[in-house]
Amino acid sequence: MKRNTVIGLEIHLQLKTRTKLFCRCSTDYIGATPNTNVCPICLAVPGTLPLLNERAVELAIRMGLGLHCSINDNTRFHRKHYFYADLPKAYQITQYEHAIAVGGYLDINTGGAAKRIRIHHLHLEEDAGKLVHPTSDGRLTGAAYSLVDYNRGGMPLSEIVSEPDISSPAEAVAYIAQVRQLARYLDVSDGEMESGSLRADLNISLSNPDGSLGTRVEIKNVNSLKSAERALEYEISRQNRVLDEGGTLLQETRLWDDASGVTRSMRSKEGVRDYRYYLEMDLAPIAAKPDYVEKIRLGLPEMPWEKRERFAKAYGLSQEESAQLTEQREIADYFEACVAAKAPPSKASNWIRTEVQRMLNERGIGIGDFCVSAQQLGRLIAKIEDKEISNTQAKDALTVMANRGTGLDEALKICGISCGRLTKEELEAAVRKVLAEEPAAAEAVRSGQDKKGSKFKFLMGLVMKETRGSADPAEVAGLLGSLLNG
Amino acid sequence: MEIYRLSAKEIARGVRSGKFSAVEALSAHIARIKECDGTVNAVVTLAEEEAYRRARDIDAMIARNEDPGPLAGVPFLVKDNFCTNGIRTTCCSKMLIDWVPCYDATPVRNMRDAGAVLMGKTNMDEFAMGSTTESSVFGPTLNPRDIGRVPGGSSGGSAAAVAAGYCPIALGSDTGGSIRQPSAFCGVQGMKPSYGQVSRYGIVAYVSSLDQVGPITRNIDDMAAAMDALAKADENDSTCDAYARPSFSRAAAAEGMRGKKIAVLSGFDRSSVDVPLIEAMDRAAGVCRDLGAEIVTADLPITMKHGVACYYMIALGDASSKLACYDGMRYGFHADGKTLSEMYKKSRNLGFGDEVRRRILIGTCVLTRGYYDNYYVPATKVRRMIADEYAALFAEADALICPISPALPYRRGLVEEDPVRIYLGDAFSSTANLAGLPSISLNMGFTPEGLPANIQLMGPRYGDAGLLSIASAIERQVGSPDIADPSAKGGRKQ
Repeated sequence: MKRNTVIGLEIHLQLKTRTKLFCRCSTDYIGATPNTNVCPICLAVPGTLPLLNERAVELAIRMGLGLHCSINDNTRFHRKHYFYADLPKAYQITQYEHAIAVGGYLDINTGGAAKRIRIHHLHLEEDAGKLVHPTSDGRLTGAAYSLVDYNRGGMPLSEIVSEPDISSPAEAVAYIAQVRQLARYLDVSDGEMESGSLRADLNISLSNPDGSLGTRVEIKNVNSLKSAERALEYEISRQNRVLDEGGTLLQETRLWDDASGVTRSMRSKEGVRDYRYYLEMDLAPIAAKPDYVEKIRLGLPEMPWEKRERFAKAYGLSQEESAQLTEQREIADYFEACVAAKAPPSKASNWIRTEVQRMLNERGIGIGDFCVSAQQLGRLIAKIEDKEISNTQAKDALTVMANRGTGLDEALKICGISCGRLTKEELEAAVRKVLAEEPAAAEAVRSGQDKKGSKFKFLMGLVMKETRGSADPAEVAGLLGSLLNG
Repeated sequence: MEIYRLSAKEIARGVRSGKFSAVEALSAHIARIKECDGTVNAVVTLAEEEAYRRARDIDAMIARNEDPGPLAGVPFLVKDNFCTNGIRTTCCSKMLIDWVPCYDATPVRNMRDAGAVLMGKTNMDEFAMGSTTESSVFGPTLNPRDIGRVPGGSSGGSAAAVAAGYCPIALGSDTGGSIRQPSAFCGVQGMKPSYGQVSRYGIVAYVSSLDQVGPITRNIDDMAAAMDALAKADENDSTCDAYARPSFSRAAAAEGMRGKKIAVLSGFDRSSVDVPLIEAMDRAAGVCRDLGAEIVTADLPITMKHGVACYYMIALGDASSKLACYDGMRYGFHADGKTLSEMYKKSRNLGFGDEVRRRILIGTCVLTRGYYDNYYVPATKVRRMIADEYAALFAEADALICPISPALPYRRGLVEEDPVRIYLGDAFSSTANLAGLPSISLNMGFTPEGLPANIQLMGPRYGDAGLLSIASAIERQVGSPDIADPSAKGGRKQ
């Protein structure tokens, strides 16, 4: 029986602020000694009061605008109560009834098909601390005690809740990737799933034969796009299997176990927890007046999808190419600087997507840490275009620039590349030299024994080597042919 | 001259003019505490060493011709729910019996910045929940006017301390009457400022939207001086307003009555209030009339009918939330258990007293799904209606005279006999908190038996200065209360 997959996502983005959401503690917690980024406020010491971080509000509004949401003025925080060791106040301050940003959408693209995913809302909330269980597998079961690190407690999060518009694992992945790209473009979040600055909770159900929604299962602990896809695929087949066998699904939260590739039941929502939500009176309403929101809107950069379209149109690139170049804003900027340095767009695109990308991958760095500037690469490509140097020479020069951090001119010198084309005389001298050194091959070609042309190619290669690749291959072939036949 | 009998302004004047030193002023008050507190039990922690260090600093500043501030050398005490850096802050609960904060509450810092000298911490009902100061883990405070009676609560220690001459100014917190009712029971002056007037930062919370810090003094001048020190914007409390405060001292010194319209509360059962307290209201109205004010009567039907019920819904709901942090894990009383949940349950069961547990349970119930819509949500609506009713009244009148407590100080032990009567005792006081209004508990003299009779004076939101001016005008006519002598009066030590 065919059942439709219905997926809705809750994405938690850690906002790139310097300090936590309600206190002045540093947000730079990765690798920090446990419980050093803490203060009386985020430890819920009696008498303390939360203080709203204005920058977090600004970033949430930026993200909300990027998601085409409307921004609400005077929204409030609520308290969400539960007792647990990761939550010092025993309540989390979060937005409940009224979110700061509501009713937006995000367009995604899967395999060339565009689809609009509606955004229910984006709200602000604080993160909880982190529990560490000293067992070999890091799980609570069997631990004699647990440790808690409050460095993460109070970190600013914006939770983006989609409508259940996603109908396949591939769409879910495309959606997460699009949210991540937007967050990075807007400089709102690092959006790294591995380090947890982007966390996605996946809600999935299979529709009933009559079209009504089936039982919803929430999947947590998904740490990469790949595991999001695998978790959803696993869950679809698990749910189908249960239903096919005539079983019923529980409304529950399941944890994705990446190593075993399965989801496991974490807690049942049968007896839904009562969080006793109610208004946080220690904080005033969040001011987001229209003129303030407008100011933020005017400061927004070009959106990734706008850049993608513009690149395709303005530079005559394919959709695929411009998508690759605009994946990261820094790469897109690098490309444009390269073009500004007189590199033809299609060449610049090729060089960046192949050579530069390979070098970045080999080095495990981002474009920001790449020592070859866009201007230098642009000039290098322009030199190929002007036939001053060959492609091969350019690759050699780029390698030197990347390895030694030298400038373009220095790199050309190191490679022994003299700029400017070979003169006819220089080329002829090189060809004659090769023919003199390889009489056997030359004779084979002359006598017509080189049926496959391999000997000719061999001689071509030697000439190219002799000229350090600076010769035009077509010219070499012509000259070699005439000298052998002449 | 006994320095402990002087007002705060007289002490500051004496210290600044070199008539006596801050150290002398301090030792006079400490001696008074030591003389009386064996009986009264108003002080739970005396921080003598820190106080003397601070007093010597003040004297050194005077010697260098520096200005230590308008409250130079004035000794003060604060309720034990104010965080004090390095001095234990217990809320008079087993839960926090050993807890020493690492920071000062903003009101404590503001008083120090004005030159005042903190001597220690005063007794209170556990976590400020109560009206008699009998639920303290340190034992009850006795009323220095009559030691057979309670001092009121929850700031009973602060009110008793000021009445007994331990200090001219003590700070309390008021959630539903906790400054004003004990001030009435102990025959001193107490003020709950408008919500948002004084920072709550560092006050161990009871109810976020109702708590407000205020001064207890023996006269309105000192109260205004304390308000000048206390009422300041605070970047650590976003509910504390950033507006520029007027000079409260100047307001108190101004001629405050001519042309004013003063409302007297009517429409309640006068027989439900002890006769001397009704007489005190009538007397206050008469004084205002004589000073040239127009007297009108005012009905507050919604407020009087639903106020207390609304107050307890709002207060206990929030209390259950603000007291959830006491889980015994990071600070405070801890009891071991096999699981996290068992540790929580044991720590909270053994750490909190009966009244606190009762209120947390009721509050949790009020916020629980199903009850929330039937109790909490209507209470928030009624709260708005009460605020509107007061706003309409204060659009017409400058101040309201009404009872603060329906009863003269209770005999000790009543809370065990008749707890509901004690809850209903908040009927007149708690609605000022619901509406965020300034309110003063003003002494109008004493009964022939020596029991104090205070009235309540309320004003419009942020009308604190105008209210002080009216209170001051009345006080000039009726006089301010003198120091109680706990060893002589009442006589019945228990």
